[in-house]
Amino acid sequence: MKNESLRETLKKNAMLIVLVLVYLFFLAVTGGGIFSPSSFSELINQNAYVYILGAGMLMCMLTGGNIDLSCGAFVCLLGALGGVFMIVQGLGTGVSILLLLLVGVIYGVLLGFLIAYVHIPPWIATLAGFLAFRGLGTSILTANSATGSLAPFPVSFRNIFYGRIFPTDKGVFNLPCFIFGLVAAAIVVFAVFMNRRNRLKKGYEADTVGKAALKSGIGGAAIILVMTRLALDGGIPTTLLWVAGIILVYSFITSKTTIGRHFYVVGGNMEAARLSGVNTRRIMFLAYLNMAVLTAIATFTVIARSQSAYADVGKNFEMDAISACVVGGVSASGGAGTVLGMVIGATLIGVINLGMSLISLDANYQRVVKGFVLLAAVVFDILSKKKQS
Amino acid sequence: MTVSENVVKAPKERNYKVGEFFQKYTMIIALVVVTAAFAMWPGKEGMILLPSNLAGLISENAYVFVLATGMLLCILTGGNIDLSVGSVVCFSAAIGCTMMVAGTPWWLAVLVMLLIGLAIGAFQGFWIAKFKVPAFIATLAGMYAFRGFTNVVLNGLRVDIKDDTYLMLFGNGKTSFIPDFIRDLFPGLNNVFTKENAFLTKLIGENYVTKFNVTCLCIGIVAAIIFIIMMIRRIRVQKKLEIIESVPKQVISMIVITLLIVWFSFKLACYRGFPMVLIWIALVLGIYAYVTTKTAMGRHLYAVGGNEKATALSGVKTRNVFWFAYANIGLLAGLAGILTAGRARGIDPVYGEGYEMDAIASCFIGGASAYGGSGKVSGMIIGALLMGIINKGMIIIGVDANYQKVVKGIVLLVAVMFDVLSKRQKR
Repeated sequence: MKNESLRETLKKNAMLIVLVLVYLFFLAVTGGGIFSPSSFSELINQNAYVYILGAGMLMCMLTGGNIDLSCGAFVCLLGALGGVFMIVQGLGTGVSILLLLLVGVIYGVLLGFLIAYVHIPPWIATLAGFLAFRGLGTSILTANSATGSLAPFPVSFRNIFYGRIFPTDKGVFNLPCFIFGLVAAAIVVFAVFMNRRNRLKKGYEADTVGKAALKSGIGGAAIILVMTRLALDGGIPTTLLWVAGIILVYSFITSKTTIGRHFYVVGGNMEAARLSGVNTRRIMFLAYLNMAVLTAIATFTVIARSQSAYADVGKNFEMDAISACVVGGVSASGGAGTVLGMVIGATLIGVINLGMSLISLDANYQRVVKGFVLLAAVVFDILSKKKQS
Repeated sequence: MTVSENVVKAPKERNYKVGEFFQKYTMIIALVVVTAAFAMWPGKEGMILLPSNLAGLISENAYVFVLATGMLLCILTGGNIDLSVGSVVCFSAAIGCTMMVAGTPWWLAVLVMLLIGLAIGAFQGFWIAKFKVPAFIATLAGMYAFRGFTNVVLNGLRVDIKDDTYLMLFGNGKTSFIPDFIRDLFPGLNNVFTKENAFLTKLIGENYVTKFNVTCLCIGIVAAIIFIIMMIRRIRVQKKLEIIESVPKQVISMIVITLLIVWFSFKLACYRGFPMVLIWIALVLGIYAYVTTKTAMGRHLYAVGGNEKATALSGVKTRNVFWFAYANIGLLAGLAGILTAGRARGIDPVYGEGYEMDAIASCFIGGASAYGGSGKVSGMIIGALLMGIINKGMIIIGVDANYQKVVKGIVLLVAVMFDVLSKRQKR
């Protein structure tokens, strides 16, 4: 019995184990470079968009393996518009953010309508965006700038999406950051044990105390580790707050709300869901509206970091988001997948990206590795499902 | 089967045929309207119908015809696509060109390019067919991976082709046309095609009259005659099997298509003659039109797309069908690589980007169903032509390259919407 549960645990947490192994691999190969404080900052700042888009892509994929191919190109378009609003027109940061969100909402409503109510297959509907938006964004940029890019964005914008809370110089131990880590770790421990207690109260099976302690211990330790390293790099990045906030919100939605459950049901068996009274069309609509809005937020983090809007921004974003989800165990046919899984997948891809650039691996080999990682993850996912059934 | 039975069969069935007919004609009508619009564009009147532009339509879109044929087979199986074709085109061409520069004879390089494409297609097809990896993920991985491999092979540099035979067979340079045999055989014709001949000069145009390629026109006429014979036989078979299809409509479409074939070959004759690439394109289209309509495997492709489970239960090995579709598009990607390298006289690491979108768009604009189970080679040809004319027309009237992409996206969306909506009305 114990052996079985060990094997089961290994399989359930396969991706986490892979993440740890890959990290250790790069730790060795980069001579500790990947453990430096700046690497941690880089990991979060560079990959913020993967987490954010991944959350949106997760909701879309849950409904049945549907994806959004247009998010990368839409980032390009929104970046261009942002540049026009903030740099060319000189509108305030707050106003521009609201306008860009509005554009996201408009696109989301249109896309959701076409997919949910006109029944255009999602990948074709978003393919149109993929083709059109980059062209549109590029023409906006060339119309407004001689160099084809717009820069720099106002400082206030940068501080909201690429700044630091209570900043200190690099190398100086940032106390607020460390305390934040301790508090977050404590919350995680508390949450795991509360969850266990609630489940026992309701009569469900729950982890043993030992297992709960192990889980929360590992989670808490990881958080403290990350925050300690970040503390040496100038403090809590605001990007981290955005990413963490979105992750928490979507974790909550997918696991504790009715509408979250509906997403899973629609992906599991759409006909059955419809017959059970779930408004499947509304779920599909919301999935894509949600994706568009999250794309807008991701755009903010991207352009705040790059300090400019340029034509190539957003290339391959959709692939990264899909990869993060698939690697994180989201089923390519819908109905299964968690936010935590997506986070692990996104982190794994981020670690691989960072590690490969730290050892200066040729960009072409990087692409090859990315491709094979994606393939391997999907095959693994499918094989493990085969064994289960 | 008597006539009364047909009537009782159901008005729904006739609506289906009407819908399909209408859609097929809609695309042809759209093609004609768009061409006319570009031809009448103020300031650029008639430019799109210039012989050089029409010949360019063929050579520039050769890869689209080849890839879209393969893509059609994948789409038939259930709306599955292959995102990797662009990268495979570039990769196989990269290997082939590198080999030729190193001294390999051209025919060996060509063979290798085809085999590489086939191998890649078979590899991807294996994952899709046996492990049921969703097609777009497997081919997405391939798209990444083979673009990366291409850059490894080419080291980011362009490779040129110098082999004349290769360029003649697969390129679009001066030698890549069927030489005018007939004029060589009948030197008397040289006296006919001179500037003094007022009628011909007016018909053909001063610039082209002396070099008019008679062989090309004859090929066109022969093709038209063959087409008429095929259509007559088809009508005869329909009569025999009592399939009700409106004969006047078919005769009209037959006449129209015949005229188009002759007119087009005439225009090509005005330019440089019958392009070599057109031979390859025609070969591919002909073979696959046959496969999709007259072979068991073709029928299986449609069946799998229509209802995979039912098809499997009927005894068809669905795994083989999927594998066939993907191995096949791999092979065609190899061929497209050959043609791309021929036209560009070499290979560049960035070639092939966007090819998959052109192929997919052509299939959908041509009426293939996004869910699989229906779609024809003839529709795909029209779709590819429409895309090609829109591309060329936009260049001629000077539309910004970025807006061209926007238009492409909108056209694709509209075509699919049309398809989806018309199918909904059927139900």
